[in-house]
Amino acid sequence: MASTITSPAAADDRVSTRSVGARLLSRPEIGSLVGAAVILVFFLITAPPFRDIDNTGTILYQAALIGVMAVPVSLLMIGGEFDLSAGVAVTTSGLTAGILAYQLSLNVWVGVVVALALSLAIGAFNGWLLMRTGLPSFLVTLGTFFILQGVNIAVTRLTSGAVASNSISDMDGFDAAKAVFASEFTLGGITIKIIIVWWIVFVAIAAWVLLRTKIGNWIFAVGGDAAAARAVGVPVKKVKIGLFMTVGFFAWFAGMQLLFIQNGVVQSGEGVGKEFLYIIAAVVGGCLLTGGYGSVVGGAIGALIFGMVQLGVVYAGWNADWFKAFLGVMLLLATIVNLIVKNKAEER
Amino acid sequence: MIRWQKKAVAAGAAFALAAALAACSSSGGKQEEQSSGGGGAGVADTPRMKVALITHSGPGDTFWDIVRRGAEAAAKKDNIELQYSSDPDGAAQANLVQTAIDSKVDGIAVTLNKPDAVIPNVKKAIAAGIPVTILNGGLDSWKQTGALGYFGQDERIAGRATGNKLKSLGAKKVICVIHEQGNVSLEARCQGITDILGDAVENVNVNGTDQPGTQATLTSKLQADKNADYVMALNAGIALTAVTAAKDAGSSAKVASFDMSKEMAKAVKDGTVEFAVDQQPYLQGYLAVDAIWLYKTNGDTIGGGEATLTGPAFIDKTNIAAVEKYAAAGTR
Amino acid sequence: MTTTKGFASEAATSPTTPIVHLEDVGKSYGNIQALRGVSLSVRQGEITCVLGDNGAGKSTLIKIIAGLHDYTSGTMSVNGEERHFSSPRESLDSGIATVYQDLALAPLMSVWRNFFLGNELTTGPFGVLNSHKMKRIAQEELTKMGISIPNLEQPVGKLSGGQRQCVAIARAIYFGAKVLILDEPTAALGVNQSGVVLKYIVKARDAGIGVIFITHNPHHAYLVGNHFVILKLGRVALDAHRADITLEQLTTEMAGGSELETLSHELRGVDAGVVVDPAHPADSAVQDVSPAANETADDETEEGT
Repeated sequence: MASTITSPAAADDRVSTRSVGARLLSRPEIGSLVGAAVILVFFLITAPPFRDIDNTGTILYQAALIGVMAVPVSLLMIGGEFDLSAGVAVTTSGLTAGILAYQLSLNVWVGVVVALALSLAIGAFNGWLLMRTGLPSFLVTLGTFFILQGVNIAVTRLTSGAVASNSISDMDGFDAAKAVFASEFTLGGITIKIIIVWWIVFVAIAAWVLLRTKIGNWIFAVGGDAAAARAVGVPVKKVKIGLFMTVGFFAWFAGMQLLFIQNGVVQSGEGVGKEFLYIIAAVVGGCLLTGGYGSVVGGAIGALIFGMVQLGVVYAGWNADWFKAFLGVMLLLATIVNLIVKNKAEER
Repeated sequence: MIRWQKKAVAAGAAFALAAALAACSSSGGKQEEQSSGGGGAGVADTPRMKVALITHSGPGDTFWDIVRRGAEAAAKKDNIELQYSSDPDGAAQANLVQTAIDSKVDGIAVTLNKPDAVIPNVKKAIAAGIPVTILNGGLDSWKQTGALGYFGQDERIAGRATGNKLKSLGAKKVICVIHEQGNVSLEARCQGITDILGDAVENVNVNGTDQPGTQATLTSKLQADKNADYVMALNAGIALTAVTAAKDAGSSAKVASFDMSKEMAKAVKDGTVEFAVDQQPYLQGYLAVDAIWLYKTNGDTIGGGEATLTGPAFIDKTNIAAVEKYAAAGTR
Repeated sequence: MTTTKGFASEAATSPTTPIVHLEDVGKSYGNIQALRGVSLSVRQGEITCVLGDNGAGKSTLIKIIAGLHDYTSGTMSVNGEERHFSSPRESLDSGIATVYQDLALAPLMSVWRNFFLGNELTTGPFGVLNSHKMKRIAQEELTKMGISIPNLEQPVGKLSGGQRQCVAIARAIYFGAKVLILDEPTAALGVNQSGVVLKYIVKARDAGIGVIFITHNPHHAYLVGNHFVILKLGRVALDAHRADITLEQLTTEMAGGSELETLSHELRGVDAGVVVDPAHPADSAVQDVSPAANETADDETEEGT
């Protein structure tokens, strides 16, 4: 029967010649990896402090600040949705833990746990509202974004009388929580912040879930074609709500890092605009804006590119006025390299 | 740039010259600007140093430009290479301090407006033997860091002084405009005014980076509250926006402001802005850098362990003449 | 996990009791009656063709059987039992698989991932994919069905339309479908590829599956169908067994019976005018698609005759 299929058979012949190398090249994150390498070499040449191995910790920390949230945002984008509230949700989580523990004089861990519950609830609300209304996630989460932004500042002012939460650094459980979320250690002369370790662990777990488990298969499917996924019995609603709750979980983690690295104080106005950095990291890392394609590792590399450029410009001692322009050029460069590599991979 | 223009004109056709002349404006523009006088003196023969100035400024802020000019003037005089960087986000600013440590600079001048985020890395820098000076913000917390000195305004004191000034002008209802949510310094200014005037002060939050939005908010506020007789802006840009808003609203409220700029000086001279509270940002940048140089070359410290206050200085019609030309040069 | 029955033909030659039976089924959206009084039987090893123009109610019918919508009147029984499906999953669990024209597969996912989508083979408590086994089975099944896709890692979107339909059908059969609903599987395909899909439909029938073949092409339907149902404005306009109808009748009925005759009469007149007249070459330059041009041509022929 195959012999009767003439044109498709020819297409198959072409595809069958793909080597292992070509298969590697077709991974979504390979372009960003090459882009990251180009950026790295560029700054190794132009910024002397970049060559100092001791400074690796600083660069990785900068990357991790974005990278941790780029993990769930990548997953969500592969699942075909956006979350514009992701940036302020981080602040909300940090504020919740800080304000609750301070106002009720509770153990810090109680605040941490309640913040987790709230963050998951915010994610679930986003997902539920999305599925319920059928509106684009862009709109739904934009609403949540404004709500959280307003609630952050209003509740902080109501409780502390100022625009930052009161410090919880002298309360029970603070040191233990700080050790978990915001401590640092020295490894071979390099100071490593614990968030970097968490980041790597999160990326590994998320990449494994995405590529090796049933849930991961479903995430690709709901982003690629939600109707097709539903027709073969994939619980689209649950997957999408689950993805938003994953963003909630990570927002909680990032919020805890924010709270404990800043000595138990969170500024209520922070986090605005960060959501775009997460999305940029995911896109630079090869996630399609339209969903159904991408990689968690790619999102991590995207965050790394962002971190390297941010600090590379400073290390190189370039005029800060040009900073954003450099950043833009570097990101474009990374994205273009990404595109070229991907096209090359598809030609094979 | 100018040399290139001359060459081009010389090489070009005569009509181009004629056209260029005809197109010249008889007033304003780049030509009328006076060359900056600050830091023009000789250069110190001390060894070349590298100093990082790290602020919490957002991009393109007039106030921070003046701070930077002051720092650059001091750097030029002291044979210092100045590296300026800024990030409004607390954690990111803290990491900029870390990058300065990584780059092995000879000194760091840093703002502490978000002290809880930045202090750990300031301590780290001092532990690494890098002298640090604090400027502009962090009055309550700078001493615990072990920094050389603090150069800035006590915002609460400045606020109270402003409150007294408003009181003497007979203010009955003051609207205090906070243009950046989460900025402790701005809160303290309004709080200081409230300390003196009590219930007569009402705070309004606007987004300082959104000029049209700010104007709309203030206009509607003034339309709603006819009793308001003073709008207290906390930076020059907001003050000028408030002037327009008051006009739009048909309100008779007068505008006063914190901070100077070229436009502010003109507005004070015209009388459209009643007075400006100057914290002398040029001085903050200059002293923060110069103090590092003095410490490195002569072991000097400024302030005797206390904060060195650079403000408030009130500028109104009576003394604007003395300040005007410096403001025009971008150093006040 | 139901395993494949393979293609050892256990085809039921004599029609047994219907697997799916619709009796007087209707569906209304508010005051719009999308489907009225439709009765339909699907038997093992039989291909039931549902024909109809756009808006005739075909997709509403599919959606009811596939579990995407519930019906509002009449009864639907599956294996002799009255059912109301609340989700596609329930329909699937009852052995009814639906292959939609354009939303059958996720285009950016690889062939093997699509093949097992919603029915992944997993090991361990975390739902870890057994990708080796899945790839092997997908390859075997596709080869068995005569579809040659050497690289199962390539995204489905890069396959031809016919191949995509075949992958979707193979998947439905492998997962133990007793009833297969095919929504316009040949609509977007060329002649060759349509042929491939039609052969494949016959294979499914031979495997003892009851097929509901939705199409608006009576030629395709007549090539493979055992039973024909024509829907018109939400009602059954024709219900005939293959033995009782010819292709010509089917085509005529499909196009609207007597309405078609009127239309064909009208068209005959128009067609004659469009033929290029060598004596009036200027006429051929006139766009014959515009009604005005047709009218002029029509007038001239009448004068000429």
